[in-house]
Amino acid sequence: MLLPPIAAVLALGAIVAYYPSIEPATEAYDQALVDVGVSLGAYIRSTGSGYRFELPPAVEQVLRRDRADTLYYRVISPGGQEIGGDESLPAPPPEFATSEGLVSYDAVLRGAPVRVVSVEAPCGRSTCTVLVAETTTKRSRLAREILIGSLFPELLIAAATLVIVWFGVKRGLAPLARLSEEIKARSPVDLRPIEAEGPEETRPLVSALNGLLAEVAQASRSQQRFLADAAHQLRTPLAGLQAHTELALAQPLPEPCRLQIEQVHESTIRTARLANQLLALARAEPGARGEAVELDLKAIAGAEAEAWVRGALARDIDLGFELEAASVDGDAFLLREAMSNLVHNAIEYSHRGGRVTVRTGRRNGHAYLEVEDDGPGIAPQERARVLERFYRVPGTPGTGSGLGLAIVREIAASHAASMFLDDGAAGGCRVGITFPHG
Amino acid sequence: MRLLIVEDDAPLASGLCRILEAEGHAVDVTSRGEAAVAAAAQERFDLVILDIGLPQMDGFEVLRRLRAAQKDNGGPVPVLVLTARDAVDDRVRGLDLGADDYMVKPFAMPELTARVRALLRRSQAHHGPRVVHGPLVLDMVARRAFLKNEPLELAAREWAVLEVLLAKVEKIVSKEAIIQAVAGWGDDLSPNAIEVYVSRLRSKLEPAGVRIRTVRGFGYMLEEYKDLQGLQG
Repeated sequence: MLLPPIAAVLALGAIVAYYPSIEPATEAYDQALVDVGVSLGAYIRSTGSGYRFELPPAVEQVLRRDRADTLYYRVISPGGQEIGGDESLPAPPPEFATSEGLVSYDAVLRGAPVRVVSVEAPCGRSTCTVLVAETTTKRSRLAREILIGSLFPELLIAAATLVIVWFGVKRGLAPLARLSEEIKARSPVDLRPIEAEGPEETRPLVSALNGLLAEVAQASRSQQRFLADAAHQLRTPLAGLQAHTELALAQPLPEPCRLQIEQVHESTIRTARLANQLLALARAEPGARGEAVELDLKAIAGAEAEAWVRGALARDIDLGFELEAASVDGDAFLLREAMSNLVHNAIEYSHRGGRVTVRTGRRNGHAYLEVEDDGPGIAPQERARVLERFYRVPGTPGTGSGLGLAIVREIAASHAASMFLDDGAAGGCRVGITFPHG
Repeated sequence: MRLLIVEDDAPLASGLCRILEAEGHAVDVTSRGEAAVAAAAQERFDLVILDIGLPQMDGFEVLRRLRAAQKDNGGPVPVLVLTARDAVDDRVRGLDLGADDYMVKPFAMPELTARVRALLRRSQAHHGPRVVHGPLVLDMVARRAFLKNEPLELAAREWAVLEVLLAKVEKIVSKEAIIQAVAGWGDDLSPNAIEVYVSRLRSKLEPAGVRIRTVRGFGYMLEEYKDLQGLQG
């Protein structure tokens, strides 16, 4: 991304360095040609009929001594007559006709580029013109050397700049990279503010993000309050309804009336359970969860054991416990609800006199909770579907809502834990949650 | 027994009132926390059933005031808290402030009446020298037990285990809790030893209909005594 602008700056730098250094070099070479021209002018002889140019062989030899370039000359009388040298050497272009001083220009001689200077040589009362030309091998080589000489340091500087800029940008962006790592690594339910370390530049971003997080947390808290209030509003009248249906059922009643009140009573209990389950589902949503705290699954199961045993006794089921300490970070309400749903399911779908066992502990370094029963079990092809909300295996007796296992799955997901559903050791099934290392 | 129900939901309050009156208690009902505090200051109740979600002065505040006032008002009044909330800290808060038990709404009436009976029995055990559980009578002062009016021989540790279970009729008591309550005679008790005492207690009590249920892997529960000659069992 930075390469094109740096290349442009480099080219500009080369041009800026090239021209000032090539000019004096060109002038020096031109001056050498002028010197040759002046020397050649000394060999013009004025005769009565005109001018003659005679170059001694020794001088000629000196002129030819340069190995790199070939020297050409042309001598022209004041009247424009050719008096010596190479007639094909081009005369100065017209724009130089009136100019004073050094006349130098580029031309082409026999297909090769040449540099030409024109020198005025005094001959008698007049002046002759001596043109001296030289091929450009030396000049080109010099130009190349100057160009390379100026480009090389520039390239070095450019490379150094690139490295410095790359490191600088990387270093400068490191806090941003750390910030995005921290945000990426966050669980969706973690609404705590982001730790605001790092340079000045990232602080406005962090505080804007924290502001947003605080608003989301606030919204989540008011949702929590709403849910708690809704539960209160719903449960109290349900308790009243249950009290009165139970009172009614304790009295002698005509048979059709008794059946109806029994139905009302059952519906009341189901409604209460459904309200609890919906509350649990809502609370397991990301963002709705309370802050995770360190909990012992054994303690949670122990605290609920009594309520579960009461439910089990009503259905003549032997509910047992194999509880080992298992600490996890989580939400006590949700974990209790997950276990209650598993126990309730096991009790609901076991035959009378069945055996249900609640276990907590550690397996292969992972905390787990599970409930095993010796009931009819769940056919393998039904296992994926029973985890869906409101799905019930066709032909299942009982009064379940089909929410129980869906709730357990969502609670597991909200704890970054995984739910499992296997065959039990004595038929039936073994359902539970395995927690991540922690 | 004199009971006070503090519940602002009229149908629930009247239902509770009728059920508890049917159990033979004298029941007062109020829907306001302030009225409950005032009533408890004037009269001695044997049990308060207190809803947490009251208008204005809530149940937590009522409980705090009841507990603050009780010092110059005789022994502590047992309080059974009713809550429609299920946040775990609500429960802890209730028990920290000195509630004796709590129930989450809605609940089955037999469970409520069982808890009420257990609380009343427990508070009497604190005051009275005799604990009665169906045909079983424990004279706490003389440390003598009677079953169907016949003296019952109990070893010291059997007595201790039975005392723990009797204090929590219809509640599960973990083996650890029994060990904690019974320990103090020096040597360590193993869960196996507790099993031995419970099985001895069973062989002595079950012929008279007093049943101790095992909760596999967890502990025991002394079942509420049901007079098999009575209605429905």
